[in-house]
Amino acid sequence: MLKTSLVFNAVVALALMASVAQAAPDASTSVTVAGFSHIKSVGGIDEYRLDANGLTVLLKPDHSAPVVTFQVTYRVGSRNEVTGTTGATHILEHLMFKGSEHYSQAAGNGVDQYLGKMGAHFNATTWLDRTNYYATLGRDGLEGYIAIEADRMRNLWLHEADRQAEMTVVRNEYERFENDPGAALQAEVWATAFQAQPYHHNTLGWKSDIERVPIEKLRQFYDTFYWPDNAIVSLIGDVDPAKGLALVKHYYGAIPHSPRPIPEIYTEEPLQSGARRLTLKRAGELGAIEIAWKGPSGRDADLPALTVLGSILSVGDNSRLYRALVDKSLATSANANIEPDHDPGLFEATAGLAPGATHEQVEKAILAEIGKVQRDGVTGEEVKRAISQYRAQRAYGRDGTAGIAGELNEWIATGDWTLFVTQIDKIAHVTPADVQRVAQKYLNEDQSTTGWFVPTVEKRT
Amino acid sequence: MIKLNCWAALLGGAALANVASASIVEHIVRTQDAGVDVIAYPMGANDVITVRGSLPAGDSYAAAANIAAASITGFMLDKGTTRQNKFAIAKQLDDAGAQMAFNVGAQMVSVQARFLKKDLPLVVRLMAEELRTPAFSAEEFAKAKTQFEASVRENQQSTDQRADEALSRAIFPVGHPNRKHSAKEWLEAADKLTVEDLKAFHQKYYGPAYFTLVFVGDINASQIQQEVGKAFAGWAGGVGVVRTVSRDAVPAAHEEVVQVAGKESVSVSLGQSIGLRYQDPDTLALSVGTLILGSDFTSRLMSTVRNQEGLTYGIGAQILGDTFVDGSWAIEATFAPQLLDRGITSTQRELLKWWQGGVSAAELEARKTNVIGSYQVSLATTGGMASAILRTVNNGKPLTWLDEYRTAIQALTVDQVNTAIKKYLNPDHMVLIKAGSLASK
Repeated sequence: MLKTSLVFNAVVALALMASVAQAAPDASTSVTVAGFSHIKSVGGIDEYRLDANGLTVLLKPDHSAPVVTFQVTYRVGSRNEVTGTTGATHILEHLMFKGSEHYSQAAGNGVDQYLGKMGAHFNATTWLDRTNYYATLGRDGLEGYIAIEADRMRNLWLHEADRQAEMTVVRNEYERFENDPGAALQAEVWATAFQAQPYHHNTLGWKSDIERVPIEKLRQFYDTFYWPDNAIVSLIGDVDPAKGLALVKHYYGAIPHSPRPIPEIYTEEPLQSGARRLTLKRAGELGAIEIAWKGPSGRDADLPALTVLGSILSVGDNSRLYRALVDKSLATSANANIEPDHDPGLFEATAGLAPGATHEQVEKAILAEIGKVQRDGVTGEEVKRAISQYRAQRAYGRDGTAGIAGELNEWIATGDWTLFVTQIDKIAHVTPADVQRVAQKYLNEDQSTTGWFVPTVEKRT
Repeated sequence: MIKLNCWAALLGGAALANVASASIVEHIVRTQDAGVDVIAYPMGANDVITVRGSLPAGDSYAAAANIAAASITGFMLDKGTTRQNKFAIAKQLDDAGAQMAFNVGAQMVSVQARFLKKDLPLVVRLMAEELRTPAFSAEEFAKAKTQFEASVRENQQSTDQRADEALSRAIFPVGHPNRKHSAKEWLEAADKLTVEDLKAFHQKYYGPAYFTLVFVGDINASQIQQEVGKAFAGWAGGVGVVRTVSRDAVPAAHEEVVQVAGKESVSVSLGQSIGLRYQDPDTLALSVGTLILGSDFTSRLMSTVRNQEGLTYGIGAQILGDTFVDGSWAIEATFAPQLLDRGITSTQRELLKWWQGGVSAAELEARKTNVIGSYQVSLATTGGMASAILRTVNNGKPLTWLDEYRTAIQALTVDQVNTAIKKYLNPDHMVLIKAGSLASK
């Protein structure tokens, strides 16, 4: 079967090479391949659906280098976990490298062995709304990787012995995370800001869940979410569309769709009706502050204005928080932004305290800058600068197929991948009035959660 | 489900044939413009240009009495010039969405920039202005000292940094460029530093003599030459890199504990100095042997200590600091305190097995494919390509090395690798550092 596929693919590739090579970067290169429905084309990316099982394929040819990035994004993240299984999505991500029916280290063809031999740059990540597996490798190695990804979608081993060995690995990842006071503070702020919605718990999970989640629960998790109709395949790079789709169909086509509907998360965070505060005390050198406000989802029409607000507050030496905090030696760093999430998330302002500065001083200075935006608005020049910065950032982020896949992955997680293309236009239309309006709407005290990291000199045992 | 068991062998051969065909060096344009070594490489057409550059004015050039001079001089490059203050400069860059940053290392001050093609003249002009005429104002100097202190104190909280620092101090003598200063040394030096010290340091070490600038992306080489020539015209000075250092006797193997309060994970470093630079004939063989021991998931340390035994999230081995002077070799890992002893025992077992038994022919062949494939992928972005070109220059290699590298990897033999491992490493001479919240014994 493999030999037949390669011959077929080579013929298709030769036939299509000329037209693909001449296409403009953002032009659609959609093709007709039996078994696929073409859904839409946006910004040079074509979306297809594999008719047999509902697998979504996003395809963007890029022939600037002889490499390709293949990525599978599952619409499952820590938002899909409940008490007792927190961290399960992440542990499962680790166990996805332990072997599947046809590919394993024991057989000499495991995913690590194959991608290692290819010299691929590969990994997997888990976050609030999604889990992704990806590799960037020479184009000739693509087929072998697709075969492995397809196999582990439904044929994962999930052995108890592997869970036990991997549990301590994941726990050490958690311990390393806890070594960083800034990261630990952020986790506590989210846990305090969200009480019902599952963004409450960190993606790594609670330590006791990491240690004790039974393999049966992980199997249940896998059998609920790892199906083609809950996955998006992204294929970016030096591949011709017909060949790429043929490979996807060849390896994924026989997998059935989920026997049951993928469960939806229906829990919504109740309206917060007052400011929340927390203090994290640990050994350390310098303090830190985070103030977070309830924000909208990544698909919300207000997200572009909040993105511009974050930029005005903290991107570059002319940003307002840099001038108010870093330039005045109150802080060593200051940031403000909102990440696009599937569900309503947080707009976060953070600062690392400079030697001699107090938490009160820094918190007051941050709130004073927010207050100025709410009261007096921002200038057209500031908005224009933020738009330029966003536009340039997007161009930098798309330097290479891996960068494109990584950014696309985050927009897939919000529930609308086309924002990868269209968000830049939405940002470009933001006005100073929009920025002031969203600052007034979202950054109010009753919707805030403030965390202080206060360093202590005592040793923990 | 579809069964495919033979694909690896078939596709492995195809991948090698593919990457061996392209030439990099024939697309490179290298010129001297206003005394600056300018290298341009066209790549892609996405409107983005990436710059990597460096000149020798790093920490090892600072006098023993004033070790913070190089770091704080570098830190102040973007804090205003004699012509305009830092906000005016930042405004021009921010308005364009351009990024430019300086960083001070042991030997080099590096510059990194990313910008859209249209902004090339702006970025080159501001880069030259900041490198040539920093203001060193008293006000900014005071702020820089505060930032510097915060940075030193923050680093003290990182178990990785503390282990790394302790190992370098255990294996390199005072004055060696790879020996890291302690927090106490940094803070005392910064406290004594004056603006005049910075001006003197800048005057003595900053200049075009050994300044290399690499431009990769949507470029026009002649436009780059013109802009660099104009912006750096009349600049003089600069010093060469330090490539020879005195060596002390190799320290006896020993163990050090660095207490860092309130940490849930312990960082471990196990290593030695190796008396090798990148351009030495045996370095490539040792480097590939080291990758077999500790790099990706298929390397020995990851597949045993992490995958089989579950003792760590991350463990690896690498050669460090060999660009200009004799480097070091180290295994680095993190362990939970309760798994620390087991983790170290397993690590040392794998190290000894590798050192005594060497690598196999099959391991070497698999690693060659890995290195060559990874090299191809790393060159697929403008940043990756620019870094590779600058690294080649600083490693003292001709630019043809960018193409010859793959052939050199392919030519390595098992005997060369195993001989290098035995010749330059000795587990009996290695120093073990543990950094974290450790119970006293």
